[in-house]
Amino acid sequence: MLEIKNVSKTYGNGSSSVGALKDISVQVDDGDFVAITGPSGSGKSTLLSVIGGLEKISAGEVILDGRRIDNLNEKELVEIRRNKVAYVFQQYHLIPSLTALENVLLPLTFHGLADGSRKKAAAMLQEVGLEKRAKHKPGQLSGGEQQRVAIARALINGCSLILADEPTGNVDQKTGVEILKLFQKANEDGHTIIMVTHSPEVARRAKRIVTLRDGEIVDQVDQEGCEKPSGKGGIIQ
Amino acid sequence: MRRDERNMKIYQLVVRDTLRRRRRALFTAMGVAIGVAAVVAVLTVANAGEKRIYSEIDKYGPNMMVTPAINDMDLKLGDLRLGSLAVGNNYIAEDRVPEIRQIADGAIREALGIQDQEDIATIAPKLYVDTTVNGTSIMVAGFDAQQEIAIKSWWDTAKGGYPEQQNEALLGDRASSALGVDVGDRISINGEEVTIVGVLQETGSQDDYQVFAPLGTVQKAFGKEGLISSIDIRALCSACPVESIADSINKSIPGVRAVAVQQIAESEMNLVMKVNRFMLALAAITLVVGVFAVVSTMMSSVHERTKDIGIMKAVGASRGQIVRMFVYEAVAVGLIGGIMGYVAGTLLSYVLGPLIFDGLPMSYAPQYLLPALGLAIAVAIVASVYPAFRASQVRVAESLRAL
Repeated sequence: MLEIKNVSKTYGNGSSSVGALKDISVQVDDGDFVAITGPSGSGKSTLLSVIGGLEKISAGEVILDGRRIDNLNEKELVEIRRNKVAYVFQQYHLIPSLTALENVLLPLTFHGLADGSRKKAAAMLQEVGLEKRAKHKPGQLSGGEQQRVAIARALINGCSLILADEPTGNVDQKTGVEILKLFQKANEDGHTIIMVTHSPEVARRAKRIVTLRDGEIVDQVDQEGCEKPSGKGGIIQ
Repeated sequence: MRRDERNMKIYQLVVRDTLRRRRRALFTAMGVAIGVAAVVAVLTVANAGEKRIYSEIDKYGPNMMVTPAINDMDLKLGDLRLGSLAVGNNYIAEDRVPEIRQIADGAIREALGIQDQEDIATIAPKLYVDTTVNGTSIMVAGFDAQQEIAIKSWWDTAKGGYPEQQNEALLGDRASSALGVDVGDRISINGEEVTIVGVLQETGSQDDYQVFAPLGTVQKAFGKEGLISSIDIRALCSACPVESIADSINKSIPGVRAVAVQQIAESEMNLVMKVNRFMLALAAITLVVGVFAVVSTMMSSVHERTKDIGIMKAVGASRGQIVRMFVYEAVAVGLIGGIMGYVAGTLLSYVLGPLIFDGLPMSYAPQYLLPALGLAIAVAIVASVYPAFRASQVRVAESLRAL
């Protein structure tokens, strides 16, 4: 379970300081699928960075599975990234010199796991429907395929929390749907997913939508048990 | 388990990345290579130079030379210097030879702990005279053929044999062609008729230009009975105390100066060492410049890979692992640079060696290959320390700003 308690993030200091996050409190249960949405500059990406330990916070606490993660040192962050939190980026961020399979394998490489890893990576690629592309390098893959490789990479370590930043931001709608299905499947498999998106259609796929504006939470909608947005979504079916 | 089943290792990541950026890797390796090449070239040239000096010393034959003691004496009148005057004789009395033998043999017996009374040291007295033979100015050496042959083990006759009679002579290779005479011809040495009985093979030394005739004959021809110019002594043992023999000769026999040839060799070696040290210093500077070149290309490599480093950290790479990747890369680059540098340095030595030690023949020095590789890798690692540190400091958030 992830708890964000009264978190503030301020850039700069003194009179020129800018508040990116203002006293934010959210709780994300295990197995949840949360979409963080809001206009540009609303602080949604900053919030995701803070959750992932990529940015230090100015005030408040971030607690993951009962442990504060907002004040971790480098070594502890490495542990978190190896075992708890995985990222999926808008720009895919694959290593260009490695094949799709090797990119999926990368977290295990740093984790120091050995036997059967390639098999596991191959299975992961199959899961995202790219088993035939295992030997291709990122440059030979389409944007959607690269993002699917990135998702396989995020899933391979078995991290319970997947942080995704505009994962469909660089792909067309059809591909976007396929990618969202992968996230939904991962969520069904037990992964907790927090996804930043500016698109209401994408957000509607999540179980919960948190809307930010000017660094503050302005709306929280629990979609479970509510009317599924299948009819109105139109674009995403 | 098949290879496919195994995980990827960090070094494999580095190999992939280095291959992908091979131009940069090659460029970085060149920074290492230039410094290593300079060092290898200097060492190879120095090595060949030393070998030559040693072989020359070996060729020198005698390990001690006795010459007349001629002292320069300053002539002064009050504060006025009038130049200097050579004091002493130009010759050594021949009857000093047995005394010298006694000292030399005695010292060797003592050194080796032997009692026998036979001659041990080879003692070759010579009388040199500049003269004209057949209208050609030439050096005539009066010698003791047997002792001389014993000292100059490399001597060999191209034609004929060595003089046995007082009226026989031996020619150096060049002397034969300069005088236009050959085995069987007769020449007159200042009125003394001698028959050429042999011509030496070319030795590459001053012997090539000399006429060798029995000591007595030369002494008689020039009215220098009982006189010799120098004595070469060879104590045929490596433990022989040449320097102390030289010392006791100097102390007990007036008018002569004995010099252990090792001293000559040493002073020559000293000069070579000084030159080598100077060249090595230059090479070291080149190496340092190489280090900076490597640091700067490595730094730009870090900048270029900021994103990749960020990705790796995002998926769980530790700082230590990032540093390790750069060190592995340094080892790879060092290895490539070391091989390139060794080859380039060896080629360079083949060009520079003959220029520095005129015409010195170079020989490939395989003993420097491993040290060169070690040096290259060390240089590359030293140069990568700072870039690797910087790389390990890359923050995931900064490197993946699009997040």
